[in-house]
Amino acid sequence: MDNQTIHICIAINGKKYSSDVLPNLTLLDFLRESIGFMGVKKGCDSGHCGACTVLLEGKAVNSCMLLAVQADGKRVITIEGLNEGEKLHPIQQAFIEENAIQCGFCTPGMIMSAKDLLDKNFNPTDLEIKEALSGNLCRCTGYTKIINAVKNAADKLSIQRKASEMEEK
Amino acid sequence: MEDFKVVGKSHHRFESIKKAIGHAKYTDDYVLPNMVYGMILRSPYAHARVKSIDKSQAEKVAGVLKILLPEDVPDKLFNCSGNPPSPLLIEDERILTDHPLYMGDRIAAVAAVTKEACREALDKLIVEYEELTAVFDVDDALREDAPLLHPEISSSNIVKKIEAKQGDIDNGFKESDYVFEDVYYAPMIQNVSMEPNSYICDYAFEGKLNIISTSQTPFQERRILARLLDMAENDVRIIKPVMGGGFGERQQLHNQHVGAILSKVVGRPVKIINTREEQMYASVVRHSAKIFLKIGVTKDGYIKAFKVESYYNTGAYTTHGPTVVAAGSRKINYRIPNYLFEGYCVYSNSPVSGAVRGYGNPQMTFAREVMLNTIAKKLNMDPIEFKMKNHVEIGDKLPAATASLLSCATEECLKGGEEIRRKIDEEESKNRTENDPNIKEAWGTAFCCHTSGPSSKEGMSSSVILINDDGTANLLIGSADIGQGSETILSQIAAEGLGIDLKDIAVTAADTKFTPYDTGTFASSQTYVGGNAVFLAVKDAIEKITKALARLYEVGAEKIIFDKGRFVISYIEGNKELTLKEAMSKITFGQKGTIITGSSSYKAVEAPPPFAVCWAKVSVDMITGSVHLKHIIEAVDVGKAINPKLVEGQVQGGISMGIGYAMMEQIEIDKKTKKVLSSDLLHYKVPLTLDMPDIHVYVADGYEPTGPFGAKSVGELSTVPVAAAIAIAISNATGEEIKRIPITHSYIVKGYNV
Repeated sequence: MDNQTIHICIAINGKKYSSDVLPNLTLLDFLRESIGFMGVKKGCDSGHCGACTVLLEGKAVNSCMLLAVQADGKRVITIEGLNEGEKLHPIQQAFIEENAIQCGFCTPGMIMSAKDLLDKNFNPTDLEIKEALSGNLCRCTGYTKIINAVKNAADKLSIQRKASEMEEK
Repeated sequence: MEDFKVVGKSHHRFESIKKAIGHAKYTDDYVLPNMVYGMILRSPYAHARVKSIDKSQAEKVAGVLKILLPEDVPDKLFNCSGNPPSPLLIEDERILTDHPLYMGDRIAAVAAVTKEACREALDKLIVEYEELTAVFDVDDALREDAPLLHPEISSSNIVKKIEAKQGDIDNGFKESDYVFEDVYYAPMIQNVSMEPNSYICDYAFEGKLNIISTSQTPFQERRILARLLDMAENDVRIIKPVMGGGFGERQQLHNQHVGAILSKVVGRPVKIINTREEQMYASVVRHSAKIFLKIGVTKDGYIKAFKVESYYNTGAYTTHGPTVVAAGSRKINYRIPNYLFEGYCVYSNSPVSGAVRGYGNPQMTFAREVMLNTIAKKLNMDPIEFKMKNHVEIGDKLPAATASLLSCATEECLKGGEEIRRKIDEEESKNRTENDPNIKEAWGTAFCCHTSGPSSKEGMSSSVILINDDGTANLLIGSADIGQGSETILSQIAAEGLGIDLKDIAVTAADTKFTPYDTGTFASSQTYVGGNAVFLAVKDAIEKITKALARLYEVGAEKIIFDKGRFVISYIEGNKELTLKEAMSKITFGQKGTIITGSSSYKAVEAPPPFAVCWAKVSVDMITGSVHLKHIIEAVDVGKAINPKLVEGQVQGGISMGIGYAMMEQIEIDKKTKKVLSSDLLHYKVPLTLDMPDIHVYVADGYEPTGPFGAKSVGELSTVPVAAAIAIAISNATGEEIKRIPITHSYIVKGYNV
């Protein structure tokens, strides 16, 4: 096999990263090993567990099931791209408040799937939350507190939205 | 009850922020200078002889540094279990083998500069195998013509027979009015920790071995590796970073020995991470079990005799087998005057069994609770009433146990859970529109107990607490937080003891170079065994501070008492009070300066059982056989809950694992091709969000006098009764006793002959 590389440029967490990569490099390995976003977790490397979930153009995807070259020219958000320094994103805050984090290995993927949901649906029902997270495996929590955290985050985000609407007025 | 300041409060866990922002460092997130990768060639056959290995092509792959074959590693037998040494832990395993005994056995290994080169080298290793007869279940393994897996150890495939008894079983049956007998089956399941088994082994030139390891038992790991590699224990350092679960899976060695040897040979750190496929069949599974029960009762519903004959499939090597079987004999929450347990640990060529949350108990509890439910119905008694009539109380002993119970809040659990159940039924009957005669709904209830620390009472822990001059403290503990939150719990115990805030404790846990010995994270030990060690270290520190204050203030130590976070010095003219912070600032420096280091050694005297009651509500479609799991309620007596939200989280997680055990999880082996079919998370189902019913948790206000601030344990307990409760609910709905789990769709349909 020859080692012909392809030049790609991906905007990750708002910053552009250019690299020459092998065509068979997964987006997951690119994020973790080429760029160093270790918050993206490798739980199965086969699209079954959801630990590697990131947002690609705003949509939750398993980064182990995509090639890095498929993300060329696109925007990717990882767990590291949610908080602004010490200021946590409301979803991250909600996961902590609701004790929805145990071993934490599924957490980055869970939070990214929750973000995809809450970006589109401001007030999801329990079933909608369950459906949105149904590709994210958690072995520790039994999901109850995770679902509570997503509801809590929806409340936080709606308060935030109202506050910024008030400001605009 | 005492008024606590830190204990009993639901503090958020220390490391949650790091985990929420993706900064928590798990093993695979470490990259060491000069690091290379390692991979293992595993046997594709369940039983074979390796006739030859040609490594010439593999060695030519660019980037390959070393190919390790069986003849390159120490020819020593060992037992990989992370239990303390015991004659039950028979040594029958090799680091690499030319006689693989299960699909996944380690044959060879490679170190290379990239993972791709490792994979290519493994592909190019030419191994000639002679396939041999394989047996996969206990029935096949115990047939006369079955191949013997370890003839040097046993003349049959029985590794060990474990016996436990009390009273006279024959008399017990004579005294019984009715005797019931049946057989129950429980499957092999996998832990499915989210993080795969991961190791970075760094054998430095000066003869020191450092391993970053997903380890539940760092000190046992160190001991076994030191012996395998002829090293001193203080030359082996096991560092446990943030860990993505364990559930027993990492209570043993996996690839650390291979990684260490590769690192020594190539002179560079070697990272070995299991693939999910390796996790599924070359890590650990829960023992599948075949359990014969014979129970004798009187007409008025008292258990007189209880006989168990159980067969636990331990797979290709002994590892934990005999201790799992023994543990299964010790956890019966009923008064049984005449008890006989005969447990057989059986070799087979199926994946290696080991520790999986519950350690021998989920199998037994499933069989026992289902059968007691059936007996109650045959006696025309309410199953809950029947079980409570026989349930142990404070002052009783569990069957074959020596210690009397000092705590048992099962009655409160029952009351709390029944109240929740009543509300659910009330709510649902209000909202019910029409009755479909083909849908049958029912509840099922199961009881259980577990242990706090190994039920053999071999739990030990120690802790060191360094008190700083500003009144903060550094807590060093050897007990490994694997995701359950023990670092926070143990820090709460330390903060409560010292009368300071939780934020004033900094914890260092599980690094064999810096933290003192702990038996390990298993048997739900951390709060009880580890917590008692922390409690004693704090007590030691307080005594030392008291002595230092006595010297400084020139009073007798008996004039100083420590109460509610304050040192009170009694003078004739009145009392002087000092907070810990004030005391430390006075005693640390100056002419009479003292450094305060509290330490402890705790050896378990008891292993008090926590108790649980679990309810499941199902609705069964009698035409299609499909089961809809509607509610699970679990009420637990964990003694004093040090952190109620963390307890609740453990129970909710345990319930989901119990649902998997009851409804979907099973490592399947195709007997024709002799291959494990459950090789990924598509072919092995674990509960996802949509599989979960509504979960309700009740935490009783318990108190265990021997526990730290009254605590017992929760981790394993929570998963133990769930499968039984679900099986009983389905039985109650359909009238068909469920004697085998998992209760998959096809099983149910077959069961009803629909």
